Amino acid sequence: MSSQSAAAEAQAADNGKQSKQGRARNLAEWSQRPNLPGTHYLDTRVYTDPAIYDEEIDKIWNKVWLPICHESELSAPLDFRTSGVAGTKPIVVVRGADNKIRSFLNVCPHRGNIVMRAPAGNLGEGSPSGNPRNMTCMFHGWQFDATGRCVEIPREKAGYQDRLCKAQMGLRELRTEVAHGGFVWVNLDDNCGPLADFTGNAFDFMATELDTVPLEVFHYQKAVVRTNFKLWHETSREFYHDYLHYHNRATGMLQKGYFDRKYTAFPNGHAATGLTSITYDAYEGAKDRGLTFPGMPLNGWKQLNIFPGCTYSLRASCLRVSVMTPISTDKVLIEIRGFGLKEDTPEERRERILDHDTIWGPFGRNLHEDLLVVQNQSIAMREGSGSKYLVMAREENNTIHDEIGLRSYYEEWSRLMGRLACDPSRRSDE
Amino acid sequence: MGASREMAVQQVHELIYESCLTLNAEKWNDYLDLCDKAVFNYSIVNYSPEIRRDQCWMERDYKGLKSIFDLLPKHNSDRSQLTRHATVYRVGFDPEQNVANALTLVTIYRTQLDGINSHFESGATSLFAVGKYMDVIGLDAGKANLKKRVVALDTRQVDIGSHYPL
Ligand code: FES
Ligand SMILES: [Fe+2]
Repeated sequence: MSSQSAAAEAQAADNGKQSKQGRARNLAEWSQRPNLPGTHYLDTRVYTDPAIYDEEIDKIWNKVWLPICHESELSAPLDFRTSGVAGTKPIVVVRGADNKIRSFLNVCPHRGNIVMRAPAGNLGEGSPSGNPRNMTCMFHGWQFDATGRCVEIPREKAGYQDRLCKAQMGLRELRTEVAHGGFVWVNLDDNCGPLADFTGNAFDFMATELDTVPLEVFHYQKAVVRTNFKLWHETSREFYHDYLHYHNRATGMLQKGYFDRKYTAFPNGHAATGLTSITYDAYEGAKDRGLTFPGMPLNGWKQLNIFPGCTYSLRASCLRVSVMTPISTDKVLIEIRGFGLKEDTPEERRERILDHDTIWGPFGRNLHEDLLVVQNQSIAMREGSGSKYLVMAREENNTIHDEIGLRSYYEEWSRLMGRLACDPSRRSDE
Repeated sequence: MGASREMAVQQVHELIYESCLTLNAEKWNDYLDLCDKAVFNYSIVNYSPEIRRDQCWMERDYKGLKSIFDLLPKHNSDRSQLTRHATVYRVGFDPEQNVANALTLVTIYRTQLDGINSHFESGATSLFAVGKYMDVIGLDAGKANLKKRVVALDTRQVDIGSHYPL
């Protein structure tokens, strides 16, 4: 054999090896669409394009029911809580003297000042320039009662004569319902259907746990995190990232039966991971959970993701609910609450909090890892960084590491946006 | 007795500052050596005006804290350094019980390493949290040790949080 043909043979063998083993890709290869159905991958512009973000606020966040706080944060008549939804729309939630919870845009109809400034309080306390029981805008002293009526305009007649009167100047009220474990839900769309139509039967598998006895918040934490809101929600919708969490590997993934855990997608983009049992004491320094919620087995774990950005995660003794407010393509306000039962004794409450803090809270083992990842993901897929397509193609018979949770999210996203996630420049009806 | 109070105060100061130095240097076992194995209780707490409640974000005994340290290598952490700057403001001493209480104001900075986009941000320092240490310190046998530390935070937005105690 000539030395030339030997070299050619070696080259051919090398090529063969490469095609089997793969190799790093050049730009053209890296930019190619994955060889997958359009439902199984997405274009990273869905995270980075400001026009898409604006459209998401308009077509999704301004239209769907959003949980914003918990009834136990407003337990007494005239308690109030300020919040916000869908970008930067400020909201104030008030429990009336009639015990009904209402919510309003927290914007004064006079000159646009924010009406209630404090995160929470009771209207009985009054304010430096207004009467007790009312919400007073500090700027010119307009006052609104707990039902949103404008009840005081200083020197009303002198300035407006008969051209404008307080009867016309009430606050903008929002559709409000209290449900699913006592959460206060609002919808910016006055013409929306009832909350029950939106959540459908998604909560059925957790209803006994959430709605048998009243819940009470014991943990509240928030952070503005530098990531796209969908990336944060997606960490709750896929469990393949058990590899990120040592705690989940030790207490869940390496335990018998874990991979049988079922994933269910519901209408309107909601998705649930069914009951599984966690071996908490497999993590050094932790112990099995001695408390639980009504109907939930000891050490059980169920999780429900509500489109477009809320997660209920119930790990036997404590419930974690995460909500978010998108701020821009790469910024999101994340609010996380922990719950026990209102009837807890102080000892029971302490035990629930201890369990909660092992993995959750800013110093828990899992939450920090999740937040660390999503902000770094967002760096990698910045416009121009070259990260182009992400895959969500795992199919494992709708069990725990199947990426059906991601696909069902983008199915709903496409329906509401009228765009394809795999090619957002194309209309989904094209 | 004036002299013994003075000595106690001196020991309390040294212990608290040493606890900051060991944590800053991530010498976890040296920190644990400053704690009373039998009774040590560590917690991070704050008052939330949002839910109008006191809340606890971490509570561990000596063993619990040790297992956190032992398991750090298995976890994916933001390994940015936390630097605690402390000033002891008030020391109370009970000579009968040989126990002191100390109030220390603490400011914690974070110097980025690999938390986010290290090419841009590693080496940059920002304020992470402010709050106070409320310590109970035993002074038996001439050696000060931490029996209890409550880290009471004023800061309630701690970004992505941390796997390290404060
Ligand atoms: S802006 Fe509110 S009273 Fe004038
Ligand atoms: Fe996670």
